Amino acid sequence: MPVVTLYFDRIQKILGKKISKEKITSTLPFIGLDIEEEASDHINVEYSPNRPDYSTDYGIITGLQGLLGIKLGMQQLHIKVGKDMIKADSSVSKIRPYVTAIEAKNGTLDDESIRQIITMQEDLHNGIGRRRKKASIGIHDLDKIKFPLYYKSIGTDHRFIPLDSDVEMTVTEILEKTETGIKYGNILHGQKVPVIMDSTGKTISLPPITNAKFTEIKSTTKNILVEVTATDKNSAEDILAVIANTLQTAGFQIYSVRISGANNSTLKLKPRDLLLGSEIVNQTLGLELSNSVIIKSLRKSRLDAKMKGRKIVCTIPRYRTDIFGSMDLVEEVALGYGIQNLTPTIPESVSVGERHNVTKKLEAIRLLMNGLGYTEVMNFELISKEILYEKTGRDYSKMISVLDSKSQEHAILRDILLSGLMDVLSRNIHESYPQRIFEIGTVYEKDLPLKEEIHLSCVSAHNGAGFTEIKSVLQSLLKTGFNLECKTIASKDSIFADGRIASVVVNGKQAGIVGEINPEVIENFKLRIPIAGFELNLTGLIFD
Amino acid sequence: MPQVLHPIEQQILKSLLAKENMTVEELVEKTKLSIDQVRRGIEWLKFKELVHVNESQKNFVILGKRGHEAFEKGLPERNLVNFLKSKFGASCEMNEVKDEFKNDFSPAIANAKKNNWIEIHENRIHLKGYHDTTPEEKVIKQIAKSTSPTSVEEINEKEAIDLLKKRPDFLSFSSSKQMTILLTEKGAESAKSVSENVSDPYSRAIDVEAPAPVVFAAKSHPLQDVIDEVREIFVSLGFSEIIGNNVQSCFWNFDALFTPQDHPAREMQDTFYIENAKAMKFAKPDQIRKVSEAHKKGWNYQWQSEEARKMVLRTHTTAITIRTLADHDYDEARLFSIGKVFRNEKVSYKHLAEFHQVEGVVVGKKVTLRDLMGLQTEFYHKMGIKKIKFWPTFFPYTEPSLQSMIYNDKLAKWVELFGMGIFRPEVTKPLGIKNPVLAWGGGIERIAMLRFGLEDVRELYENKFGWLRSVPKCQ
Repeated sequence: MPVVTLYFDRIQKILGKKISKEKITSTLPFIGLDIEEEASDHINVEYSPNRPDYSTDYGIITGLQGLLGIKLGMQQLHIKVGKDMIKADSSVSKIRPYVTAIEAKNGTLDDESIRQIITMQEDLHNGIGRRRKKASIGIHDLDKIKFPLYYKSIGTDHRFIPLDSDVEMTVTEILEKTETGIKYGNILHGQKVPVIMDSTGKTISLPPITNAKFTEIKSTTKNILVEVTATDKNSAEDILAVIANTLQTAGFQIYSVRISGANNSTLKLKPRDLLLGSEIVNQTLGLELSNSVIIKSLRKSRLDAKMKGRKIVCTIPRYRTDIFGSMDLVEEVALGYGIQNLTPTIPESVSVGERHNVTKKLEAIRLLMNGLGYTEVMNFELISKEILYEKTGRDYSKMISVLDSKSQEHAILRDILLSGLMDVLSRNIHESYPQRIFEIGTVYEKDLPLKEEIHLSCVSAHNGAGFTEIKSVLQSLLKTGFNLECKTIASKDSIFADGRIASVVVNGKQAGIVGEINPEVIENFKLRIPIAGFELNLTGLIFD
Repeated sequence: MPQVLHPIEQQILKSLLAKENMTVEELVEKTKLSIDQVRRGIEWLKFKELVHVNESQKNFVILGKRGHEAFEKGLPERNLVNFLKSKFGASCEMNEVKDEFKNDFSPAIANAKKNNWIEIHENRIHLKGYHDTTPEEKVIKQIAKSTSPTSVEEINEKEAIDLLKKRPDFLSFSSSKQMTILLTEKGAESAKSVSENVSDPYSRAIDVEAPAPVVFAAKSHPLQDVIDEVREIFVSLGFSEIIGNNVQSCFWNFDALFTPQDHPAREMQDTFYIENAKAMKFAKPDQIRKVSEAHKKGWNYQWQSEEARKMVLRTHTTAITIRTLADHDYDEARLFSIGKVFRNEKVSYKHLAEFHQVEGVVVGKKVTLRDLMGLQTEFYHKMGIKKIKFWPTFFPYTEPSLQSMIYNDKLAKWVELFGMGIFRPEVTKPLGIKNPVLAWGGGIERIAMLRFGLEDVRELYENKFGWLRSVPKCQ
């Protein structure tokens, strides 16, 4: 989850009321923020991806003001009608069809405000923008730009000076050589890329990769242009709503930008209304709140609410993209009312609980294996090809891989447990023998598309370990546990020594293998002791 | 109660009663026990404070190469006087012996002079009086006759030793630690009673206070014990267990839970997709249609069944819960599942790529968020956790959502544990689930870490026998 740094002195200033550090710290979790780290002058909080408005301290302060009772109700967004224009060309329709923008004027930015805005931009890129694929943001110094702007496509040999560079580069060079170009270049493909140019023909942005150097915002910037380009119009507006609200809180006056051409239009960022009945609130929360308490709670959550007939009409600002319907409003009531004010209750029930049948049988096997002197181990189900196949000399033509695992040790789904047990023995060579261990777990097999079965495997490692010992364990387990008789029929398998391995047959069906481990396999695991073991498929044998 | 002594201990005590200050070797000879038995017995007796062990250093001497020569052929000075007497009678020129004695000439002359056997005048050697056996000769003989290294203390002629020491290669010295054992006051009493009581070997009492060899009971894995404990609590709260496959279609892992198909959580860098695996019939046609409609309406995009068909290692047990709820028309139910879940994480002290999760759901017409908090509190009480608080949080498929914080005494801080919430209508409605569903759950390894005081989650899967054997079954 993304992290925001909050400086107490800044918060106290913007809050508009002197609130103690302790009060701020203890209130933050109740608007849904996780405290990551506390220091004397600041605090780091994590916010949930559904609340991008919490990506700056401005948004968090708006939330705090509500819960602390400093300001209630919806924060109105005042957008003045602006005159500047962006004209979209139909050549972008197939690349990145949507563009939208706002202007924020007559404000001041200090270094911390700029830092907050940049991290907000990154969080919005990664969240709603889906790592810039769905939507991306360009923030510019408005005073450097000559309107109208043109949003159009252009060839990759086009040149301009990108952000974080001092020299002119071609689009191809930007995609191949700059950090953002390498990271996001794969979003653009084909010979044409989208650009925004001003009326003098200067490039201001190459979405979703980078802006031009000359429009970069600094602490001296007074007027800002924020443009968003997108493959989805709604996401573009979601993003701009959050930014407009943040910049207004930061002290800017917001102006609209006229957008036209190729199915684009000027954005509105209008709030919307949802109706809410008190019944669903009280039924869900287990409370008996009056309409007026519900309304007050919603207003503490920075929404507007008033009675309309027997229902409550709730007005939701455009930036609250996380609210879908009534249930989301119920949560807003709960937060405004205060989660700490909800006391737990125990629901009445006459239901009788039960373990699953499979669980009961596995528990029985565990007890029996313990009784036979075997200690349980637990291995991962995703293991390495080396342990599963290479060290045991097994055929890996039916290997099941997961895609793009972050570690090679966890890249293959196991099809037997025995390899893992050998690995456990190899990690315990310094411990005293005899070593007797078992594992119960899920294994996977290629099928249409995949089959999962539960296996039991065990190994006995000591100087006298051999076939007879392990066969005794196997037949005792099956007989004492499940009144099953088993036969062992000579077989072959690379893990086991030739002539010392048998298939386990129960009721005429093959159920596993048993034998002495192949000395070569023992050596591959850097072990120096005789080992015998078996692997039994429990699925289909003692449960389905 | 008199202390019970092992026969070995009894033998040693008896011997010591007869003679104080014995060495280990002497005890071996006296008791007829093996040297290991005697050493072990002395350790036990020392531990019981019945004997006292004095350790001292002992120096030994053996003959060097020249010492052996001297023993066999005589010392150079002795040979000199014998030679003089037999060849010349009383005196001779120095040069006449010099060639005969070569390198031995100087020591022969010097020592013969020291012994007052000869006199030298104007380069002539004159033989004098008697030539008694010298202390050096006695010492060489004593050492040569001894079958084992001779203790330096046993040699009376200390000066002779010093003299021989000065001659190269005559003597060779070594030293070793020597233990002598004597009875303590308490030991003397025990020894007396031992020698008075002739014990009957068949009715002999054994030393019940002696340490016994260590054996380890075979047992289940400590993490499995925590899983079983959690399961038992759910059962005791009236929940029935459900199970399901670890490999699931994206439909049940994500789509049915209202996670849009372009959501970051669905990307390969967070979720394990199975190579070349696609689900055939992953859900009922009606379920697929309604879920896809909910996605179109809620997220405003074109839902793809091909995406839902992909197979993943489940990222939460909710995939099992939601399918069970969708396939059964419960008016009321209390269900839970415990099992492996998988995340494409870089394995570290904090994160595993696979871990266990438990999840419980309550279906009922009138169940509330406060009920959910109550059930959670009850669960924690049964785990022995008393201090609990709730904070709001966000989960994609529940609304409202809470997280529980528990106070951990060992760490002396609040720790985030299980999450909970009520399934969103966007999840339940398309699947025909009519009543509210309370859900809560979380990772088991986290509980196990707190329980066993681990700081590295990987330790749970290292299967080190030392750890497996040392973790108490109940704590």
